[in-house]
Amino acid sequence: MARLTALTLATVMLLTGLSLAGTTATAQDVPVLLVAHPDVATRHLTRDTTRAIFAMRQRTWPDGQAVRVFVLDNDHPVHARFAKEQLSVYPHQLQLAWDRMVFSGTGQAPNRVRNQEEMLERIANTPGALGYLEREYLDDRVQVISME
Amino acid sequence: MIVSKSFRWSDPRSITAMAAALTLSLSVQARSDEGVLDTLQLHGFMSQALVISDDNDFFGPSSEGEGSFKFTEIGANASLRPHEDVLLAAQVLSRRAGGDGGDASPKLDYGLIDYQMLSDQQRTLGIQLGRIKNPFGFYNQTRDVAFTRPSILLPQSIYFDRTRSLALTGDGVTLYLEERLPKGVIRGQLGLGAPQAEDDLRQTLRLDRVTGSLDPEQSAIGQIRYEHDGGRIVAALSAANAKVHFNSKAPGLTDGDFYFKPWVFSLQYNQELWSLTAEYALRRSGLENFNDPRLNFDTTGESWYLQYTRRFLDDWQWLVRYDSLTNNRDDTSGKGFEASGLGPAHSQFADDITLGLQWTPHPSLLLAGEYHHVDGTGWLPVQDNPDPSETSRRWNMVLFQLSLRF
Repeated sequence: MARLTALTLATVMLLTGLSLAGTTATAQDVPVLLVAHPDVATRHLTRDTTRAIFAMRQRTWPDGQAVRVFVLDNDHPVHARFAKEQLSVYPHQLQLAWDRMVFSGTGQAPNRVRNQEEMLERIANTPGALGYLEREYLDDRVQVISME
Repeated sequence: MIVSKSFRWSDPRSITAMAAALTLSLSVQARSDEGVLDTLQLHGFMSQALVISDDNDFFGPSSEGEGSFKFTEIGANASLRPHEDVLLAAQVLSRRAGGDGGDASPKLDYGLIDYQMLSDQQRTLGIQLGRIKNPFGFYNQTRDVAFTRPSILLPQSIYFDRTRSLALTGDGVTLYLEERLPKGVIRGQLGLGAPQAEDDLRQTLRLDRVTGSLDPEQSAIGQIRYEHDGGRIVAALSAANAKVHFNSKAPGLTDGDFYFKPWVFSLQYNQELWSLTAEYALRRSGLENFNDPRLNFDTTGESWYLQYTRRFLDDWQWLVRYDSLTNNRDDTSGKGFEASGLGPAHSQFADDITLGLQWTPHPSLLLAGEYHHVDGTGWLPVQDNPDPSETSRRWNMVLFQLSLRF
């Protein structure tokens, strides 16, 4: 019964997709910011480097410090927005890239966090950490990295 | 890391020993260096399939009774970064695809040390040493992990099981360079080492009844891969030159050499909800230097597929694919092969139409089902169908698979 309800709901959502698109636009106006541990010396990253780091292909900051990547779950709306808007990749592509690395011995998976509060805590307490947050979750224990 | 041939997953003592060893090494590391231990990652996967076919057997007795459950893949890996430029990684794989239970004895799938000597905003340059997965086409490196496959079976024209061991890994060294360009990323990779040459290859070469041994020789594999615009377009070119020496112990027969020189062209276009993938392979292979001319051959095979995948309702995906294999470009219909009395014509090609469905209700759970309609037996495993004359040209197959991972 629950499945049927979910299915009906999904169908309704699909059908009303066009009208919903208008309301989600407001949320998308607030950018998701690139956030790092305060000890990280790098202040700016190019989009290509950021993408390489989140794809887990590049393992160090430009100055050689080891980078520790934190991400939210694939279905978290902030993760999807960060991937699409800041990295210009789809979450499923990132997931596939991580799986290919983890199961071929060519790289590691990023560290998963459940929500933005945990993201903030982990970035603040992990040297070399890189993640992303909405502005309202920031505090002075982390720094924002600008991206060209 | 060496896994003994006698090891069995079902042996509780082996499992206990392995768990104890792991716990011990973890606690030792925990005391010595907490920072390094922070980078330790453990991952694994397990999948079980049911294969049902009307004629011909695939991965076990799939055409009898309720089908074959003899398609199981289990793997576990660990990775660690003892230094910011160094990655250590190893995976153990137990895989059964038909055959007897002994085939499932765990093997070291890869085990390597990776050192990145240069890594900045422009480029990354690195070297890998050990047992390394070959970058062959889009899927070879993770071909046994269901979560990285678009379907239960990869397109068999390119990723067939007959010479699987040869294509899978190499023991040696790989150099890689990744260059970030204004609109994309280009990655080049060159590997040198000894390929694996196991029973599958021997059977395929019809050397299984000749006394002697297959000894891998220095081989090379290279891939250039370009990802445009964050992976919207991905193109790759892979080439290899694999060599294996046959040490004859049969009276009157000299040694011989096997070579395999495949080229694979790969192209993929990705959108948020769909992907279009195509790969084309030219596979030149042969046996030479035997004094018995009946054993020597030199043929070029051709493989290609076109695949469309569509994601829907967040965690569902369907797939449609046309996959075509020709064993010998000079004898596409197989009639010449049949006329020489070597076997049926239909064993020289396979055209496979596949419809597939995947559901991922949880990131660690994947349920899949698919249907194959195949014309030809070109990639049908020899061990499941020892007598080629008893195979049917046109056959159908349905597969279901449950996969878990952590």
